[in-house]
Amino acid sequence: MDEILEQLRRDVAAATDSKQVEQVRVKYLGRKGIITTLAKNTDFSRLSSEEKRSFGQRLNALKSEAEQLLKEALEKAKAAEKDLVRKVAGLDLSLPGIDRRLGSIHPIALVQMELEEIFQGMGFRVLTGYEVELEYYNFDALNIPPDHPARDMQDTFWLDNGMLLRTHTSANQVRALETYGVPLRAIFPGRCFRNEAIDASHENTFYQLEGLLVDRDISVAHLIAVMKTLLSQVFKREVTVRLRPGFFPFVEPGFELDVQCLICGGKGCATCKQTGWIELIPCGLVHPKVLEFGRVDPNIYSGFAFGMGLTRMAMMKFGIPDIRLFNSGDIRFYEQFPAAF
Amino acid sequence: MKISLDWISDYVDINDIPVDVVADRLTMCTAEVEDVLEVRRSVAQVVVGEVIDCRDIPAAPNLKLVTVDCGTRRFQTVCGAPNVRKGLKAPFAPPGTRLANGVEIAVAEVSGHRSEGVLCSPAELGMSRWHEGLLECPPSLPNGAPLAQWIPDRDVLIEIDNKSLTHRPDLWGHYGFARELAAIFRRPLRPLPVVDLSQYDHLPTYPLTVDDYENCPCYGCIDLRVRAGVPAPLVIQRRLHALGQRTFNLMVDLTNYIMWEIGQPTHAFDGDRVHAIRVAPLGKPGTFVTLDGQERQLLPDDLLIWNEKEPVALAGVMGGLESEVTPTTTHVLLESANFKASRIRRTSVRLDLRTEAAQRFEKGQPPVNVKIGTARALQCLIDSGEPFEVLSRFTVAGDLKEAPRPLSIPWRTVDTMAGQKIPRQEAVGILRHLGFLAEEKGETLEVGIPAHRSEKDISIPADVVEEILRIYGYDRIEPRLPEGPMAALPVNVGLRKEHQARRVLAGAHGFVEVQNYVWLDDNWLAELGYQPGETLTLKNPPAQTCRRLRPVLLPNLLALVRPNRAHRDMFRIFEIGRVFRPQANDGCEERTHLAGVSFRSSGKGDQEEHFRSIRGALEDLGAVLTGQALRFVAGQDSPFPWCVPGYWVKILLGDTTVGAAGVLDPVLARVVALEGQVVWFELDLEAIQAPIYPVVHYRPLAVYPRSWQDFSLLWDVTKGFDSLEAVLSKFQHPLISEREFLYVFKGKGLPQGQASYTFRYWLAAPDHTLTGEEIEGFRTAFLSFLQENGISLR
Ligand SMILES: [Zn+2]
Repeated sequence: MDEILEQLRRDVAAATDSKQVEQVRVKYLGRKGIITTLAKNTDFSRLSSEEKRSFGQRLNALKSEAEQLLKEALEKAKAAEKDLVRKVAGLDLSLPGIDRRLGSIHPIALVQMELEEIFQGMGFRVLTGYEVELEYYNFDALNIPPDHPARDMQDTFWLDNGMLLRTHTSANQVRALETYGVPLRAIFPGRCFRNEAIDASHENTFYQLEGLLVDRDISVAHLIAVMKTLLSQVFKREVTVRLRPGFFPFVEPGFELDVQCLICGGKGCATCKQTGWIELIPCGLVHPKVLEFGRVDPNIYSGFAFGMGLTRMAMMKFGIPDIRLFNSGDIRFYEQFPAAF
Repeated sequence: MKISLDWISDYVDINDIPVDVVADRLTMCTAEVEDVLEVRRSVAQVVVGEVIDCRDIPAAPNLKLVTVDCGTRRFQTVCGAPNVRKGLKAPFAPPGTRLANGVEIAVAEVSGHRSEGVLCSPAELGMSRWHEGLLECPPSLPNGAPLAQWIPDRDVLIEIDNKSLTHRPDLWGHYGFARELAAIFRRPLRPLPVVDLSQYDHLPTYPLTVDDYENCPCYGCIDLRVRAGVPAPLVIQRRLHALGQRTFNLMVDLTNYIMWEIGQPTHAFDGDRVHAIRVAPLGKPGTFVTLDGQERQLLPDDLLIWNEKEPVALAGVMGGLESEVTPTTTHVLLESANFKASRIRRTSVRLDLRTEAAQRFEKGQPPVNVKIGTARALQCLIDSGEPFEVLSRFTVAGDLKEAPRPLSIPWRTVDTMAGQKIPRQEAVGILRHLGFLAEEKGETLEVGIPAHRSEKDISIPADVVEEILRIYGYDRIEPRLPEGPMAALPVNVGLRKEHQARRVLAGAHGFVEVQNYVWLDDNWLAELGYQPGETLTLKNPPAQTCRRLRPVLLPNLLALVRPNRAHRDMFRIFEIGRVFRPQANDGCEERTHLAGVSFRSSGKGDQEEHFRSIRGALEDLGAVLTGQALRFVAGQDSPFPWCVPGYWVKILLGDTTVGAAGVLDPVLARVVALEGQVVWFELDLEAIQAPIYPVVHYRPLAVYPRSWQDFSLLWDVTKGFDSLEAVLSKFQHPLISEREFLYVFKGKGLPQGQASYTFRYWLAAPDHTLTGEEIEGFRTAFLSFLQENGISLR
C-alpha cells in the first residue's frame, strides 16, 4: 500500500492541469481504480478477523490520504488555470478613460451660480434686469443728478435712441422696488458696461452682483452681519470685515467694506499691498431718495445695498491675472473651468 | 490731495500721535489714505543771503559772478539761476554744507572764478523738485539768519485718494482735515485766523454785476494796493512746495495758499487792468487766451468774468493772460467767488483744463467760502508784514448763506440707522467737533449744519447720522443679522433655464461656454454677408465699426471659429447672452438667447453625422427644459446668410418657433472656418415656455417578454427621414410597443438616390407571450402596408 501511495504522489506531481488530475483520480479511485480494486482483489477469507480489521483500517487511511492529495492538486491546478485565463485577457485598467463628454462653464457663470446659491440660502431672490437700460433707472432714480461726473460721455455707452448700456447693476434697485415692493431681499447679477480703455485690469464689459435688502428698521449693524455671513460662505471660512466711509450717491451713509487679507491674515503681504485689508464691496444704507423713487416710504422702511464685482471675484477665485481673457473667445482659457456645479 | 502735518499743526495738536495711527483713523473715519510720505529738508547751516553784487561772466553767458552778504561774512559765488539779481535774498549754503542731493558744498573754481558756496533752489534744499530758479526770500529777513527758523527740516505728507473726496468740498483744503482730526481725536480745533471785513464797509463799493446767478450764485471782490511781485513769506512757500506747487510771488502764492488751506480758489487780477466786474456767459462762440498763453475755443454757455466788455477770466477755471498780476503790479483786485459745479465741470472737461481751481469748484464749494477766502487772504497779508491798503469794501453779489441750516433728527433715527443705541452726549460732542451746532432736546437732536458743509454734502438726517457714526466708529457697531418673517422664495425661471442649458451642454455634450461683446463688427458682418437690418446703435462705440448691438448671437460666435481652429481639430462652443432689437418710441426689446457652434476640421466624419450629434444635444436640452420633444422642420429662405435651404432647420416647441440649427453651406463655411465643417444653432430661451418641473407619467413595465423584428427600408434620400417617419407613423398594429430607428446606410449596392433605413419594431402583448403566428401576422400586415406605400425592403 505504501508503494501505491508513493506512486500516487508521483502521478499527482506529474499532472499539470485539472484534466490530468482527474485522470489520476480515475486511475486510483475510479470504479476500476487501483485503490478501489485493491479490496476486490484481496481474498478476505484467508485473513484472520484481526488481519481483516487491520487491512480495512489501512485501506481507509490510504483512500482518505489519496482523496486529500487529489483535492489539493485539483484546487492548485484550477487556480493556476484561472490565472492563466486572466493573463490571456490582458486587462490594463491603468489606461486613461475615454468618451468623456464634460465641457466647461464660463468662470464668471460659475462664480455667479455659486453666489446665487449662497444668497438664496440667505433668503434673497435672484432678479435680472436689462443690459440696455433707461437713463432714469441707471442714474436719476439712483440720486445721480444730470450733472454728475458719472454721466459723462466718456464713462457711459449711450445709444442713439437715448438709452444706455447699464453702467452698474444698481440700475435694478428701483425697478425691483417698483415691481416687488417691500420687504424685499434680492440680488441682481448681470453684465455692465463702461466706456473705458481696455488693459489687463480694465474692461468695457464686466459683471457685477448687486444686493438689496429693504425692511423696517434696517441698520448698519444688519449690513455688517449680512456681509460677514456672506463672505464667510464665499471664502469657506470665518472672515473679519471692516467698514469705512465711501461715497456713492444712492446710499447714505456709504461704505467701502474691506475684508481682512486671507493670504496673510492681516499682517500685510503683496496681495493686500501690505495693508492687511482687501477692498471688496462698496455698500451703504439705501438713500431715502432712492426709496422714494421706488415708491417706498423712507419714514417706515430702510435698507441696505451692496455691489460685488463678479468679474473681480472670478479673477480672485481662479487666479486670473488678465481681465481681457473673459471675453477673449479663446477656448484654451475657457476649457480650464470644468462644468462643476 | 496731500496733507502736510506741518500745516495741520497750526490748527490742531496731534504731534504726540504716531503717524500710522493718524493715517489709519483718517481712513476709517474720513477718507482713504493712500500713502504717507516724509519730507526731509537740508537746511542746517543754510542762511539768508543777499545778492549785493551781480556781474556777467563774459566767457559763460549763462553764469553770473555774485557777491552774497550773509551778515557777518560775504562770499563770492558763481550762479546760473535765471532769477539771480542784485538785491535778491535767497538761501545760501556756505562751503561744508551738505545739500538734499547729497552733494557737499566745497570751494570750487567755475569758469575761472573762485566760487564759495551756492545760492539754493527749492530742490537743493529738499523742499520740492523745483530747480529752475532760486528760492526767493522776503526782503525783510535779516542777512545771515539761519533758514531753519522758517523752514523746518522735516514734514510728513499724508496722501489722500481724491476719489474718496468727491462729495466733500470742505476736505479740499488743510483746515477741513484739521477739523476732521480734531473730531477723530477729540482735540480742540483752533479757529482760522481771519480779519473782520466789516472794518472796510465805509469804503466805496467795487463796481460788480452778476448776470447769471444760476451759474454764479455768489461773487465777492476787494480792491487792494499792494506790491504783488515781492516774495511770499517762507512759511507759505515751504508749504506750497511741500505739496508740489511752485511759488511765484506774494499775491499768486497767497491765492494758492488760501486754496490749499480752505479749498476756496481765489484769483488776483491786475487792478490797473480791470475797472468794473461783470459775470456773464460768453453768449456766442469765441476764443479766449488763458494765462498759460493758450487760445481756448469757447461755447456760448461758457461763463466768463468781464472787465466791462472785455473777458478777463474763464470763470472758475483759469484767469486771462491780459489781466494777470506781474512782478511790477501794485494794484490788485482779489476775487473770491462761487460757481455752479456742473458749469465749471463742463467747461474744464471740454477744454481738458483740469486746474486745481476747477477741480474744487466741481465739488460744489459752499458760498460762505467767498467771504472766508477774502478774510483769510487779508489776514495772511497782514501776517506777511508787507504793507497794503484796502481801496474798496468787500463787495458781494449773491447770497453767502452764512447761517447754519437747522435740522431736527429724532434720536430714534440715529439708533435705528446704527442698529444700536448711540450715547447722546458723545453724538453731540462729535457734531460740535465737526463744527455743527448740536443740542439734545428730549427725543430730538437739534442740529445746525455749518455753512462750510455744502448742501449737496449735508441736507437730510441720514447725512448727519453718517457724520456721527463715522467718527463714533463703525467698528464699535455690533453686527446683527436681520430678522424677518419667512417668505416663499420664487424661482427665477429665466436664470434657471440658463443654468440648465449650461448643465446639459457643458455637462453632457462637451460644449465650452464662451462670452462675446454685445456689439457687432461691421467688417465681420460684411464678410458674412449679413445685413442685420434695424438694430440699436451706440452713439459712442468702442470702435467706429462696432456701433450695432447684436440682434442675434451667432455672428460673434462664428467669428471665434477661425482663431480657435489653430488650437483644436474640433470643438463645440456655446454662449448665453442678451440680444437687442429696436422697438417703437425709441424702445428696446431685450431677450436672452443661447447659441452654439461646432467645428470639425475636414475629414473627421461626415456632416450629416456631425449635425446629428449636435441635434442630439439639442434634443437632450429640449427634454430637460420642456419635458417635450423639440421639432425640427426644414427651413426655407431666410435673411440670415447661414440659413441656406437644405442646410438648416427651424426648431419648434409645439407650434412655436424657438430657434434654428444647421450646417454652414460650403461657401460660408470657407469664410468662417477656411476649411472644415461648422454646425450651428441659436435658440430664443425666452420663447421656450414650459413648466419648471416637467410632468412625467409612468408607463407600466411589460410583464411578458417583448420580441423584435428589424426591417431595412429603401427610401429616397431627398425626401428625407421625416417623410419616411410620417408614412411609417400611419401604420397601426396592436402588437407594436415601440418603433426604434437604428441606422441609415448610404452606399454601394443601393438603387440610385436611395438609402436604407433600418427600423426595429418591438412587439408585445400585455397578457401573454407572443406566439409565432402572432408575429407572422404582424409581419404580413406590415409588409403589405409597405407595398401599398411603394416602399421596398433592402
Ligand atoms: Zn495680505
